[in-house]
Amino acid sequence: MPQRVVEHIGRVLLGKDREIRLAVACLLARGHLLIEDLPGMGKTTLAEALARSFGLGFKRVHFTSDLLPADLTGIGVLQPASGSFRFQPGPLFSQVLLADEINRASPRTQSALLEAMASGRVSVDGVSHELPRPFCVIATQNGQDQSGTAPLPESQLDRFLMRISLGFPARAAELALLAGQGLGSEALEPLLNPADLEELQRRSAAQRAEPALIAYVLDLVQLSRQAGFNGAPLSPRAAQALLAAARAWSLLEGREYVIPADVQAVLAAVCDHRLDGGEPGSSSSRQLQAGVDGLR
Amino acid sequence: MRRVRRLHWLGLGLLGLQLPGLDTALPLSWGAIALVVLGALKLREARRAAELRRMSLLLLVATGVMAALLPGLGPSLLQVLTTLVALAALLAQELGDGLLPRQLLGRSFRLLAAALPLVLVLFLLLPRLGPVFSVPLNQAARTGLSDRIEPGSIASLVAIDAPAVRIGFEAGQPPAEPERYWRVLVLNRFDGRRWERDAPDPPFRGTRPPLAASRDELWLAEPSRLPLLPWSGRGQPLQSELSVGSAGELINDRPPGERRGYALGATDRTSDWQTAPLSAGAVAAATAFPTGANPRLEGLGAGWASGQSPERRLETARQWFLSQAFRYTLQPGSLSSQAPLDAFLFDTQEGFCEHYAAAFTALMRAAGVPARVVAGYQGGRWVPQLGGGGYLDVRQSDAHAWSEVWLAGVGWQRVDPTGWVAPARINPGLPGSTERRAAETGPLVWLQQQWRGLDLRWTGWVLGFNRQAQAALLERLLGARRDWLGLLLLAAVAFCLAVTLPLLRWGQNRGGVDPLRRELERGLVRLRRLGFEPTAGEDLGGFCARVAADRPELRTPLRRFANLYLAQRFGPPGSAAEQRAARRLLGRLLPRGLAARPDQPETG
Repeated sequence: MPQRVVEHIGRVLLGKDREIRLAVACLLARGHLLIEDLPGMGKTTLAEALARSFGLGFKRVHFTSDLLPADLTGIGVLQPASGSFRFQPGPLFSQVLLADEINRASPRTQSALLEAMASGRVSVDGVSHELPRPFCVIATQNGQDQSGTAPLPESQLDRFLMRISLGFPARAAELALLAGQGLGSEALEPLLNPADLEELQRRSAAQRAEPALIAYVLDLVQLSRQAGFNGAPLSPRAAQALLAAARAWSLLEGREYVIPADVQAVLAAVCDHRLDGGEPGSSSSRQLQAGVDGLR
Repeated sequence: MRRVRRLHWLGLGLLGLQLPGLDTALPLSWGAIALVVLGALKLREARRAAELRRMSLLLLVATGVMAALLPGLGPSLLQVLTTLVALAALLAQELGDGLLPRQLLGRSFRLLAAALPLVLVLFLLLPRLGPVFSVPLNQAARTGLSDRIEPGSIASLVAIDAPAVRIGFEAGQPPAEPERYWRVLVLNRFDGRRWERDAPDPPFRGTRPPLAASRDELWLAEPSRLPLLPWSGRGQPLQSELSVGSAGELINDRPPGERRGYALGATDRTSDWQTAPLSAGAVAAATAFPTGANPRLEGLGAGWASGQSPERRLETARQWFLSQAFRYTLQPGSLSSQAPLDAFLFDTQEGFCEHYAAAFTALMRAAGVPARVVAGYQGGRWVPQLGGGGYLDVRQSDAHAWSEVWLAGVGWQRVDPTGWVAPARINPGLPGSTERRAAETGPLVWLQQQWRGLDLRWTGWVLGFNRQAQAALLERLLGARRDWLGLLLLAAVAFCLAVTLPLLRWGQNRGGVDPLRRELERGLVRLRRLGFEPTAGEDLGGFCARVAADRPELRTPLRRFANLYLAQRFGPPGSAAEQRAARRLLGRLLPRGLAARPDQPETG
């Protein structure tokens, strides 16, 4: 069933199976996704297709430097009839939120978003509002155009389970795109419903991870903390993220247990933005993977 | 690395525990001490892996030296422990920090166990070396005995509560307490002040008396400087390096200074030295008396000499001693160097066994009776052992001196003047016995006594296997073909290796590496022979896919191998039978002859 989702989205985003798979894995692992790429690479398409395939509500916010936290969370609107305020939910109250160019917003707005991502609820005027479930933020940032941006600090990057970049499509895929063989994302029929997604998320968390596998994850994480390793040390949250992502990946592979290859498949997406402080195109995870014996 | 160093320190500590037992008169002892001290200095600065490896080897060498010097049960156990620690350190270094301490210890144990057959063969068959390290004799004694007695020169005697001898009796029971006299030295030369040994017997020539056939007593004597060993004065030794001198001393041909275990047999017979008639020279030597050195003593003795039989003179002397106000004390104070025996007998009248024995023997000589001083041990405590039997525990504080008087028709007769003056000193069953013996209770003392008994038995078994026992064993094994010893030794060593190496392999298989992992290693070795090496960090699936890209004929078995292994390793565990079947299949998928038939397609 989860594999079919990948194929399903593949009909819209051509030739990007691996990235789609990572994005789905991120969703199954209840994580948030950061996509770093140039405009026009299909970020929005991916986010929308993901939401549609699972039948989730989808909203998109383009971040600008004057965006305020209230623009995201919503505000209390005065009701002249009763004289009271009624909460008008902002775009945050959706199941999939595409936060375009998150690094263009002020740090204050970024914080509001990231707090909501971490806690799953929003407080406005002293009242706590639960966000819908499942809740997934897909943020994009344009790594190459740095003027007028506030790059996310490392501590906030840590809240994104994965960072991926779509990259240019292969020639054949682009040919198919130009030939009009791809579907518009708005034409995508829902394949599953949100309840299915929650069930898959539960199954993903229950994927079997033997002590030998957990030892492999630990070895990777601990190598990053050793003196002489070229990169920031990975946090325990990063270790949890790595294992959760590997579990989701193994589910997508149609296995009921995690193997080191699953960990390696998600390692770069989960760890690179944590290891290198969010530098675009970093690849310290390769060094990490080479430093730990994968034959277990 | 820290763990390796900690193990090294532990090993050095264990070696250090054995240092106090070394006899510093042996040159090799200094070598052992130097090894330990230098080892500690080296370990302080050792950081590199090669240095630490050498440190482990140094520990093993030092343990070997210790084993040559200290063969007792306690040191032997310590040496085994040191070997274990040294091996564990070596293993910890070679195998990295992956092993738990328990696994490290288990592996060292297995190594040691694997060496056991070899040890046994070498112990039984390797020819025993003669005495290699000679020791200067007759240095000042450290024990309770010295080879001269000079009453008055020692103002007070400190009772050393160190073990001197342990005696096990095959018959089970020791002699009655008043009979427990263990002779060591006979002092026959008297110069007015001090008693000394005669010049030692000339080296023995001709045939020795036959050795006793069966063991009645097993003796274990602590190291001493004297070439003499304690014994009861009855019976015959079982070892050819022991002989009985003409004065009734048990002479040890081997260099002294080490702990000696020896056996005596036929102890129910009176020995020759006791009853053999005295030559005229011997009588003259046994009555030699320097006139004028102790005039009052001389006068008293001479008074008894006229017209009495030697037995009467002895009795007169006993009556005289009992009539005087003598007092037994270990702190008699010193006596004047002029006529010290006169001063003791007639002025102070306080002293311990040496005073009484020396003065009484001098009196007997003044009275014309052949007499001499015997030094040795008296008494000893019977320690019952768990599991039956027991041993007699004789301490340095049991050191004693008494007299022997020659009586025609009887031979040398033991006379103990100390017993007349202080009966409690001789027979602790009497009231007023010394407090030391009363204090010796409590669980710790009991444990110590049991340990000493075990040690005695160990000595009986292991140290008793001497050259004679070995010769007897070889005789049984080889008959007259003694030339074949080398061949036998070689065969035995080869046999040991044949037994040991599989044992070590077996140990490896069980030591931490699980059988599934072993199948993986086997498969990797076979792929390595084909020229494929996993790259850094590569996982099994990726590696197999890479190999398969190069060797398409192996694609199916490789894929099955990887999938099967990963499912076994990371998937839900099946039953034991399923796991075994899977392991067998893993072994078959990438067979041993993989490289030999590269072109033959594998269908798996």
